Amino acid sequence: MKFYEDQKESYDALPKEKFVLVQREERLHDTEFKTKPIGFFKDVMLRFTKNKASVCAAVIILIISFFAIFGPGMNEYRYDEQHTDRINMPPKIPAIAKLNIGLFDGGYLLENRNYDNLSDPSRYPEGSVLEIRNPRLVNGQRTVDVWVDYYKYSGMADDECYWFGSDYLGRDIWTRMWRGARISLTIAIVSVLCNVTIGIIYGSISGYYGGAVDMLMMRITEIINAFPRIVIVTLFIMVAGTGMFSIIMSLVIKDWVSTARMVRSQFYRFKGREYVLAARTLGVKDMALIFRHILPNSIGPVITSAMIAIPTAIFAESFLAYIGLGLQAPEPSIGVMLSQGQKVLLHYPSQVVFPAIIISLLMISFNLFGNGLRDAFDPTLRGTE
Amino acid sequence: MFRYILSRIVAMAITLFIIVSIAFMVVRLMPGSVYEMGGDLSQTVIDALNAKYHFDEPIIKQYGYFLQNIFLHWDWGTSAKMRPNVPVFEILRDRIPVTLELNLVSLFAALPIGILAGIIAAIRKNTIADHLVSLMVVLFISIPSFVFAAALQYFLGFKAGLFPIIYNVSATGLLKWQSMFMPILALMFDPIARVARYLRAELAETMNSEFMLLAKTKGLTYGQSTVRHGLRNSMVPLMNVIIPMFANVLGGSLVVENIFSVPGMGGLMVDSINASDHMLTVAILVFYSLISLITVLVVDISYGIIDPRVRMGGKK
Amino acid sequence: MKEKILEVNNLSVSFKTYNGLVRAVRGVDFTLHKGETLAIVGESGSGKSVTTKAILGILQKNAVIESGEILYNGEDLTKYSEKDFYKIRGKEISLIFQDPLSALNPIMKIGKQITEALILKEKMSHDAAKKRALELMEMVGITNPEVRYEQYPFQFSGGMRQRIVIAIALASNAKIMICDEPTTALDVTIQAKILDEIRHIKETQHLSVIFITHDLGVVANMADRICVMYAGRIVEVGTSEEIFYHPAHPYTWALLSSMPDLETKERLFSIPGTPPNMIYPPKGDAFAERNQYALAIDFEEEPPFFKLSDTHYAATWLLHPSAPKVEMPKVLADRIARMQRKEHI
Repeated sequence: MKFYEDQKESYDALPKEKFVLVQREERLHDTEFKTKPIGFFKDVMLRFTKNKASVCAAVIILIISFFAIFGPGMNEYRYDEQHTDRINMPPKIPAIAKLNIGLFDGGYLLENRNYDNLSDPSRYPEGSVLEIRNPRLVNGQRTVDVWVDYYKYSGMADDECYWFGSDYLGRDIWTRMWRGARISLTIAIVSVLCNVTIGIIYGSISGYYGGAVDMLMMRITEIINAFPRIVIVTLFIMVAGTGMFSIIMSLVIKDWVSTARMVRSQFYRFKGREYVLAARTLGVKDMALIFRHILPNSIGPVITSAMIAIPTAIFAESFLAYIGLGLQAPEPSIGVMLSQGQKVLLHYPSQVVFPAIIISLLMISFNLFGNGLRDAFDPTLRGTE
Repeated sequence: MFRYILSRIVAMAITLFIIVSIAFMVVRLMPGSVYEMGGDLSQTVIDALNAKYHFDEPIIKQYGYFLQNIFLHWDWGTSAKMRPNVPVFEILRDRIPVTLELNLVSLFAALPIGILAGIIAAIRKNTIADHLVSLMVVLFISIPSFVFAAALQYFLGFKAGLFPIIYNVSATGLLKWQSMFMPILALMFDPIARVARYLRAELAETMNSEFMLLAKTKGLTYGQSTVRHGLRNSMVPLMNVIIPMFANVLGGSLVVENIFSVPGMGGLMVDSINASDHMLTVAILVFYSLISLITVLVVDISYGIIDPRVRMGGKK
Repeated sequence: MKEKILEVNNLSVSFKTYNGLVRAVRGVDFTLHKGETLAIVGESGSGKSVTTKAILGILQKNAVIESGEILYNGEDLTKYSEKDFYKIRGKEISLIFQDPLSALNPIMKIGKQITEALILKEKMSHDAAKKRALELMEMVGITNPEVRYEQYPFQFSGGMRQRIVIAIALASNAKIMICDEPTTALDVTIQAKILDEIRHIKETQHLSVIFITHDLGVVANMADRICVMYAGRIVEVGTSEEIFYHPAHPYTWALLSSMPDLETKERLFSIPGTPPNMIYPPKGDAFAERNQYALAIDFEEEPPFFKLSDTHYAATWLLHPSAPKVEMPKVLADRIARMQRKEHI
């Protein structure tokens, strides 16, 4: 704390002309807000891009989507093309095989082989033996495990290869996996779009009109909600069959309820606000009130929950495939491939690894993306999840 | 309070009845009679069987018989394909305990881990520990249980040989738990993540509340105020998060049981659907509905018991 | 001269935020004497709550005490560790919150909330603690304390809850009670009762009180001395009479003019503009921008405190011998005259 008395001399020495009233005649008023207004979505984008994890997730989703669209056309195989002579081939990508890092070299471990046969070119064609492991004596016989290039071992041409291997019918896993990803994504996105559309319309009507309409409509959602999801989905597919459409519908049949409830609660929050009353007194019609004045408030939560619903739908689709209610063969989906690969997991793990990685990446990315969007739409929720 | 519970139970019974009816109709209306596809049965045998189980009568009548049998004799029908002529209820009776055991054990084993992770994340907010927990939550929630199950089976079971690759039906005691370990673990990831995520958010919010500040200004130490006010308040609603999770875990166990060949409800459901053993499917669906309805009921009631605001309100 | 109990010297507190360092408190000095009520008045964001939080060591994690000292019993509280503060909080200095609705734990019985500190800290037996709690509840004007003891906060009205908060603050015989806008969240009718209660308790318990508010009206009957804060600084300090009847700082004038009273016929005065952004505190007098009476020097150099009496200081260049003679606004002068007349009747 400075006191005048403490430094009287220096304060008194201040020039007199500084002691003039400078704002006496001016009309002081509240200054205008000078910073440029940022649009809602621009603001959301700005906040979203600050979140590195979500941006990363968005990039991964884009990459997977790219392959889901173009991946199946990248090699010469079709998704339903069977080669019974080349079943369960290990993955081989020539460019990577050359690096000798033990990945994508078409390698397969043949166990308990007779060491003496290794030099026999009719059993082990030229260049097929990559590595000899674990030499030992069994009953006086020199025995080894052999890591072979399974392609050369089975006498295939050098330029023939399955990038991600082939399945139990000799179908190309690369092609099937991306086609499967395409189908899983389509099922997920279409079902979520349906959920959101139905949910918004239902929720808006229920929330806007209120009263008896609302009572009745909410009763209906309560009844639907009381049915367990597994049961509803299973029953629906048993009735409608295992087509893509019926899988999508089975995911819509219950899940739109949560969107509808969310939209309704937003309507309840905003429809009593003064600005809505003002618009109403100015003669704005019901539809315009709903879509122009009230609904935009719920756009953030709706988009966020839709994003989080996508991984749930992807999971549900593969779950159905697992319990035998997936898509009909030969159509692949990630779930179908996982459940088929599961049967040969111990011998050909690569048939599970690739679909498992893709589905996990998709689930993680959509969850992170959804989290990022939620934080961006509503910064007050940051970090609470 | 009593009236409230009673009304919830009645509502639940009605819902269950509707589910039973719909499930029966759907399953029975599926094309093809149960005994047509077998192939090795002669037409007369098929006719006799159809007559015995009233499959030759109109669906409404069949439904009548179905309900009558359940209410009068607790008879849920007879399995046609999976274990011919064995009463459905008997099959379920063997399977239900296995599934319940698997699910309850994994849920309760997940709780302390999830709670601990959530607490650490909340009180060390924005530190490395918190970020690690957040990462764990995203991974555990995102990666499907069957991917975890496959990874466990391959690495822990096959490569490392620590645990049996599939469930050992005949084992008892320690060996049984050893063969249950991987299915239990595979089902634990999701509840761990959900509990941790919930508790982290809830506790962090409670720690920022005014009454925590008051507890501090009262002179309580950090530990005292965290335990007595922070933890106590955020643990109370935890029950209502955990109970509905049981239905979730049950869904995941459908697949996990299949992967590890656990002889529970999950495997049974998959098999019965694939074998079109209709009466069995209906009974299994009713079982799942019952569990999920009970969890909802328990949550509704426990809201009343746990929160003094609701409890007192109900008294008046 | 009365005995000093708490002394704050040149206290500066800043908050680290994403946008930069927010200088919430910039060199605040005041003294609290034994048995007096000191009011700190200022608009939101002037740093008054931050100052008191610093006294109790309950600043948010991103706050830094940049300089200054808080002397209590000859010890500097700014040097205290979390552990040392446990000895101070509740026992020596206690705090009453702005919002009694959220200050009580919603799922803990009222009685337990009062007694827990007694049991945990003072090692009282449960019975003794309960007896003390019932006394306290009676003291703060809660009827039927035996019944109330077993109830939950949601069964209490806002005013009742604030009484409980006061009882908790009193439980451990604190010597200083800090009231942080204790009546802001309450109905106007309850406000007066709670203020009476605080005044009454202060007398009977021989407390020293720091009373924080943005409402000069609340302060009028409560405070012995008043500090007026603006933008993290004290701009004027004096006894109640001095601040109300002889205000010297243009900001105090503005505050007093914007206070409604029954006789106000003209449009109520509102202070133009908004408080400065405390990430970039202005160079001279922080209030200059909004000040009708700003001098050229206000924009260049901070004014020192000018002494008006032994107890009355104001930091404005208008008191400098070279400054032009400026009278307070007529509206305000009239109002003060009215107030003084009323007082004398």
